[in-house]
Amino acid sequence: MSVLAHGIGAQHDLPLSPFYAFAGAFAALFVSFLALGLLWSSSRFRGDRAGRPLPAAVQRLADARPTRIAVRVLGSAAALLVTLHLLLGPDDPDRNPAPGAVYVLLWVGLVPASLLLGPVWRLFNPLRTVHLLGCRVLGRDPAAGRPLPVRLGLWPAAAGLLAFTWLELVAPDPASTTALLLFLSLYAAVHLAGAARHGAGWFDHADAFEVYSGLLARLSPLGRRPTDRRLVLRSPFNGLDATPQTPGLVATVCVMLGSTAYDGFSDAPSWIVTVQTSPLGRTTAATLGLLGAVALVATLYALCAGATRLISGQLRHPLTVFAHSLVPIALGYLIAHYFTLFVTEGSRTVMVASGTDNPVPPEPPLGPGGVATLQVAAIVLGHVLGVIAAHDRSVRLFPPGRAVAGQLPLLVLMITYTIGGLSLLIA
Amino acid sequence: MKNLRRRRWLARPGGAAVTVLAAGALVFGASACGGRATTHHKPGTSHEQAVGSVGRLLAADDGSGHRLRQVDAKGAPQVTVAVRRDSEDGWNVRLSVRNFRFTPDSVGGAALLGRGHARLFLDGHPLARVYGSWYHLPDSLVRSSGGGTGLTARLYADDHTAWAVNSTPIQATTSLTTASAQPTAPAPHRPETPRPDTALEIVVSHGKVSPAPGRTEIKKGRIIELRVRSDQADTLHVHGYDKEARLPAGKTVTLTFTADRTGLFEVETHESDLLLTQLVVR
Repeated sequence: MSVLAHGIGAQHDLPLSPFYAFAGAFAALFVSFLALGLLWSSSRFRGDRAGRPLPAAVQRLADARPTRIAVRVLGSAAALLVTLHLLLGPDDPDRNPAPGAVYVLLWVGLVPASLLLGPVWRLFNPLRTVHLLGCRVLGRDPAAGRPLPVRLGLWPAAAGLLAFTWLELVAPDPASTTALLLFLSLYAAVHLAGAARHGAGWFDHADAFEVYSGLLARLSPLGRRPTDRRLVLRSPFNGLDATPQTPGLVATVCVMLGSTAYDGFSDAPSWIVTVQTSPLGRTTAATLGLLGAVALVATLYALCAGATRLISGQLRHPLTVFAHSLVPIALGYLIAHYFTLFVTEGSRTVMVASGTDNPVPPEPPLGPGGVATLQVAAIVLGHVLGVIAAHDRSVRLFPPGRAVAGQLPLLVLMITYTIGGLSLLIA
Repeated sequence: MKNLRRRRWLARPGGAAVTVLAAGALVFGASACGGRATTHHKPGTSHEQAVGSVGRLLAADDGSGHRLRQVDAKGAPQVTVAVRRDSEDGWNVRLSVRNFRFTPDSVGGAALLGRGHARLFLDGHPLARVYGSWYHLPDSLVRSSGGGTGLTARLYADDHTAWAVNSTPIQATTSLTTASAQPTAPAPHRPETPRPDTALEIVVSHGKVSPAPGRTEIKKGRIIELRVRSDQADTLHVHGYDKEARLPAGKTVTLTFTADRTGLFEVETHESDLLLTQLVVR
């Protein structure tokens, strides 16, 4: 069952009241329809050419070698601390800060960090630092290595994300030190080997946490303009629009969406009963549930892409061309599902790490009504942003006559996802 | 649903290797996780034992996993226990100790002669740890510990080893029913316990929960009563509220508490790891 039930955190958010949920769904539909066609007839987003440069001093500070080294040291020190806690600390998430550090501070904390500051995990990633140091010792160029096959794209990252979410949501005992040590050492071994063979570029494509952070950072107001390497403030839409259409992008986003959806329905009593009475055994049943959720999200998306192609004629990559519009939706779900967890368990983890023995987690900062409002707002806003991003992409790609018709399947998909997402919160 | 995209993955060269690795990780992950991490011990209740140098640490334990620490009979701590029925609820327990001091400040530290705390047991089931000579034992705790009448007080060192003389733990036992000065029988007190606003009756047999687990809506501040019977000895646990009760096999155990926190909370058994119900407190 879920880590929320058995490893991290004893309290869950209340299920939403149907009133909130349906109000949210109708708001999403209304705004989406308005945005469609009426106000937006030509493409407004300029991708990564957009943005207002930050003052040179800020850029110098951000790019300065000491800053970078400090961040690397910080990331490696944190990783070392977590490993030591896992090796030497008690096998009890109430007393050992390591499980909370991985599942809450890293996994959930990457969301706000990437949203505010951009793809930060690249800088912190301790594996990258280890690889860099290894290359320094051997006198190799860190970037050198066999080129990665283009078709591989983000697929390794999607697999890594699936493995991590499996550990978090399905594994029998996700917060035990054994499970975490095993996963982390296996993960480190795979990625250090990959980097040794293919150079540091491996991490850009294959490291699940870097890709996750990078995709969320597409919605950050802080970006880097590739033409002149300047740090710029830009509209999140422009960052999103510049998401490279790499193979495996759809898979990665579908794993993000599907695993969050699974996290939602794995709380429902009906699903727990299914799992605990399944003749297949709990882990197998839950694994099938997680894979099923990812597959369902992906199938719906593939159907929609097929329909778009049918309606609008030739499109070179019908699957990946709209994949970026799923990123804000995934973000909405992440906020809706993990806000309370992050605030309460995140601070509890810090308290454990600073030496308090088994502290009581703080009260959630919002009452039940506040949390419900935040959840609906996050999901609806995520879908609205997704619809806008997709709309802009379609008016750019399709001839004017077909632009509205061409995105109807996407609109239907977004509505399906919205209703699905909200019914998960009601359930 | 199982599964279009995964096959497509496998068909991709390069993707396959990664999938195999990921699958390997899943298999290893699944097999490596042994028992569940214990997540529900509150401060000071862990079973870790620091090793102190006082007395002699015996291989024998006290029956609940705490090793005995043997000291000379001369100057050894002593304890007696007396109970008195409370006029409102439960029992007032008095521990009289000699050659012993309650040291709540240093619990968890090394064992020092004549220092530590006491534990109360009801027919062998742990009830409470005591850091002073007086303790109020509520009826609800007696009930949730499976009833029973034999109250034992045993002395422990700061490192949670049990003080012992001649390989016998230093302890005293009294009976809750034959206690002197028992003004009234327990029965008339029943109506005084607050009436629950919601009562749930749950039976676990052969790993099946009936009625099937669902959600129970409760208004914040109301009193909820769980009556649970399991065909196997188990532990009942209410998440979030961190209420626990032992479930002796075949016995109905009642757990009553006030729902004073909002949220969604799971009620489950520990050994069989079954969800019994979810409490929705608004």
